[in-house]
Amino acid sequence: MKQIQQAQKAKKKKKRTQLPFRLNVLFFAVFLLFSALILRLGVIQIVYGEQYRKEVERTENVTVNTPAPRGKIYDRNYQVVVDNEPLHAITYTRTQTTKPSEMIEVAKKLATYIEKPTDRVTERDIKDYWILTNEEKAKQKITEKEWKQFRAKKLKDKDIYQLQLERITEEDVKMIKEKELEVVAIFREMNSGYALTPQMIKNEGVTDEEYAVVSEHLEELPGIDVTTDWNRHYAFGDTFRTVLGNITSSEEGLPREKLDYYLARDYNRNDRVGKSYIEAQYEDVLRGQKAKIKNVTDKAGNIIETIEMSQGQRGKDIVLTIDMELQQRVEKIIEEELMTMKRRGGTELLDRAFVVMMDPNTGEILSLAGKRYTRDENGKVVLKDYALGTITSAYAMGSAVKGATVLTGFQTGVIHPGTVLIDEPLYIKGTPTKKSHSGIRPGPMNDLKALEMSSNVYMFKTAIAIAGSTYRPHQALPIKKEAFSIMRRYFNQFGLGVKTGIDLPGEIIGWPGQSTLPGHLLDLAIGQFDVYTPIQMAQYVSTIANGGYRIQPHVVKEIREPISEKNQMGNVIYSFEPKVLNRVDMKTEYIERVREGFYRVMHGSNGTARAFFANAPYDPAGKTGTAQAFYDGPIKSRRMTPTYNLTLVGFAPYNNPEVAFAVVVPWVYQNAKNHYPINNYIGRKILDAYFELKKQRQLGQPSSTESLNNDEETMER
Amino acid sequence: MENEKTTQTKIDYHLLFILFLIAVVSAIAIESARETLPAKLQHINFAQKQLMWYAIGAVVVAVTMLFDYDRLFKIAWYLYGFGMILLLGLELNVPGTVTIKGATSWYSLPGGNFQPSELMKIFMIIVISRIIVNHREKYHDPTLQDDLKLLGKIALSLLPPLFLLARQPDMGMSMVFMAIAGSLILVSGIRLRIIAAIAGLAVLGATAFIVAFLYFPDVLKIKQYQLNRFYGWLNPYEYASEQGFQLVKSLLAIGSGELYGKGYKNLDVYLPESHTDFIFSIIGEQFGFIGASIVVSLFFLLIYRMIQIALECHDPFGSYLCAGVIGMITFQVFQNVGMTIGLLPITGLPLPFVSYGGSSLATYMLAIGLVLNVRSRTQKFMFSAEQ
Repeated sequence: MKQIQQAQKAKKKKKRTQLPFRLNVLFFAVFLLFSALILRLGVIQIVYGEQYRKEVERTENVTVNTPAPRGKIYDRNYQVVVDNEPLHAITYTRTQTTKPSEMIEVAKKLATYIEKPTDRVTERDIKDYWILTNEEKAKQKITEKEWKQFRAKKLKDKDIYQLQLERITEEDVKMIKEKELEVVAIFREMNSGYALTPQMIKNEGVTDEEYAVVSEHLEELPGIDVTTDWNRHYAFGDTFRTVLGNITSSEEGLPREKLDYYLARDYNRNDRVGKSYIEAQYEDVLRGQKAKIKNVTDKAGNIIETIEMSQGQRGKDIVLTIDMELQQRVEKIIEEELMTMKRRGGTELLDRAFVVMMDPNTGEILSLAGKRYTRDENGKVVLKDYALGTITSAYAMGSAVKGATVLTGFQTGVIHPGTVLIDEPLYIKGTPTKKSHSGIRPGPMNDLKALEMSSNVYMFKTAIAIAGSTYRPHQALPIKKEAFSIMRRYFNQFGLGVKTGIDLPGEIIGWPGQSTLPGHLLDLAIGQFDVYTPIQMAQYVSTIANGGYRIQPHVVKEIREPISEKNQMGNVIYSFEPKVLNRVDMKTEYIERVREGFYRVMHGSNGTARAFFANAPYDPAGKTGTAQAFYDGPIKSRRMTPTYNLTLVGFAPYNNPEVAFAVVVPWVYQNAKNHYPINNYIGRKILDAYFELKKQRQLGQPSSTESLNNDEETMER
Repeated sequence: MENEKTTQTKIDYHLLFILFLIAVVSAIAIESARETLPAKLQHINFAQKQLMWYAIGAVVVAVTMLFDYDRLFKIAWYLYGFGMILLLGLELNVPGTVTIKGATSWYSLPGGNFQPSELMKIFMIIVISRIIVNHREKYHDPTLQDDLKLLGKIALSLLPPLFLLARQPDMGMSMVFMAIAGSLILVSGIRLRIIAAIAGLAVLGATAFIVAFLYFPDVLKIKQYQLNRFYGWLNPYEYASEQGFQLVKSLLAIGSGELYGKGYKNLDVYLPESHTDFIFSIIGEQFGFIGASIVVSLFFLLIYRMIQIALECHDPFGSYLCAGVIGMITFQVFQNVGMTIGLLPITGLPLPFVSYGGSSLATYMLAIGLVLNVRSRTQKFMFSAEQ
């Protein structure tokens, strides 16, 4: 019994002693773990502490610095059209921790070194500045009661600020206006940027002296830097200026409507980007690769080292298809002819003229010119560049489109090469008498003659046949409504009434007429119903010139690697290949027939443009147009006045066309007695200019650009 | 009469004093982090709120003191069942569950989010303690088989909550549960051979796990973020901008504190939401090696006191409860501090008593309540056989 008890006791004892032992083991384990922590802390904080501290004191800021210049733009002969002009610039970059008081300090100092225009400073800027610099006074603007409300969270920071803004007196504003307006102007620019993004303080009119003084005092102006900004320089002045487009200023920064697009592509908000035409269309290409610089600073903001992460690179260069010398000459011709015409009577509505010249085989635009006659603020006559009108405005083109009408007739089978129709006045019930112009005596004629003499009635009869109808004098003319869409479908194949696909933004397609009256179908056949753009006319005549290929016109020929050597070109990165949009689904012989008709316009005994082109050595072909149209220009009171548009399309040489062109001069005169073929004058002169330049270049004569540049002054009227 | 008096004097003021010091550390550390918090959190006075949670915690302690802990022995399985129901609710996504960063671990309560696994930790301690006590009573002289049987029982009680935690998923919490079980197994009296074998297997398993983790993540169905934590831990500098970011920042913060620290509120290294999981980093940065060591020492003292209580307790159940709490707190401190200094991979475990957070603080206070309770019911028998 006792033994058992003892045994149990021993067991209990054993158990008793076991638990404390195990608890001690647990405690020992805890001790080990915590010792490990202390040991590791010691290693980190004592052994490596200094290294860690040094690393903390180094702060690295990746800043995108030095804006890289944009790519240059050259013309087809590699003459610089758009260049970059270096500008002195003063920038400010703030860090995430920069306080407003520090910025004001810098602004005040900087104001003593530079002149800063103050015209962009707003009342609000001044008030914001006042609150920042007069903290105590600003506090007093708020009543005790309002502070109580603020503490009770009934008023928010925002409300308090608003109240302060409202209560700043005229006097307070005046004080600042007198003494510190320039500081406000500088502070405003500093504050408009984002942290770590260099912000332009001044990039226009920074004098060498300012630049030097600021450079000397950079030490005391933390965040301020002197760099180079770039302005676009246009070697040919206003020539082709509107098509080249513009870039935004650093104040404008990224255009709001495309903000997300640009930000996603690593742009800064104050970056300058192309905002119109070629600059905008080829932004990706022209954009410079910014140099990325990593500034390693200590806590005080002193730069310890600067590491160049990636080198900046100028944007890629663009080579245009435009021949700038030709362009200059063409523009000059348009200006001269416009002025000549304006000096003649009865041309008060005339204010514009367009020329498009392109290579019908490749679609390269050689010249895209337009001029607008207008007056500046002082009432002085100026001729503004309006080259964009060639793609953004449309007009009734008249008989110039007859080539398309004849071809539609051939293809629909209602006429054939050689079909003879009688030219006679058409009397259709409910429609004014439809007839050809007075130069044509009624009688039979074939397709060639019809083109040569520009017979309206031949076209009318063709259109009537397409519409599946028959002409009966003095009776109504029933037509198939589809006739409109049939004709337009064929016209579209030549580029009339569709986008030509030119590589510029904003191209319009013109407007098809809405009515389906029979008389309007006849008008459509002679180009007096639907309206087309000058570039469409150029594409149309190119399609006839090259035997039926509708080619996409383009103004950019090549993209090249930027290189720093002057007078040399970088490697070609991309070269635009001719792009055939469609092959006109007509027999080659039909197109050949119309080409022949076009030849006769300029060479035939009755050719409408014979007087101007028969003696041209380069064998041109083409088609004139005189449209009876309605005025639709800027003078509102004269809208819908009947007027005449004069047009001319053509190509040369006849056998192997290398240049196709369209001349469009809308609203020339209202009365036919004032007729003066400005279209033909311009047409002849631009072709002469083209072939003359070609000859000069073949002979290796020096470029005449300089002499032309000098002429600019005399051109001003 | 005598009895009653002893009960009253048996409130352990040592433990409470240590806890008070830790609360002071917590308030100072949280307040110091205030200016580095994101703007949307700036206006919240977290230090004040934390003290409020301490006050609530004190009430929790007081309430736990009302009952004799022996009663817990009786209701252990009910508590366990209650905890499991709460965890199951999360698994079944009953209304009121909250999912944060992909883990469904919370219920939405009026005072804030409540994490049932926190409560389950305490229940787990109670249940395993009861299992051990029952086993010991049944087998006075346990054989090897009996030991293994006990091990099996503990494992069986542990598996269901572990499974549900893995489903949430909450790896950090699962590890806390294993730490609790581990410390209890250690003190349960199971043969050291077995424990050594388990430890060996655990090391082997962990090694295999890490190898599989890094080279065959597909097999383990590891989520990318979990993998990234490991990469960040093993090579923080290479992953500095991504996964290792927090570790690199934490090391910078602590390391740059050096021996004496930079001083109160002198924080140069930005750590996201430093008032919670990374509070130890900013302590190390501001108060240096000395400050950080004092905090670790405070925890060590806390545990030392708990060990003492466990040793003085004559009732094995009380000792086991203490051992479980010790395991829980030790592991969490080691894990949290360890992750800030690169000893362990980063998990979302807060630093007990110091990190800001109501529901975890309430749980630790509950644990403290348990220990105090054990202490207060311990009779000092003058005729004790202990020598």
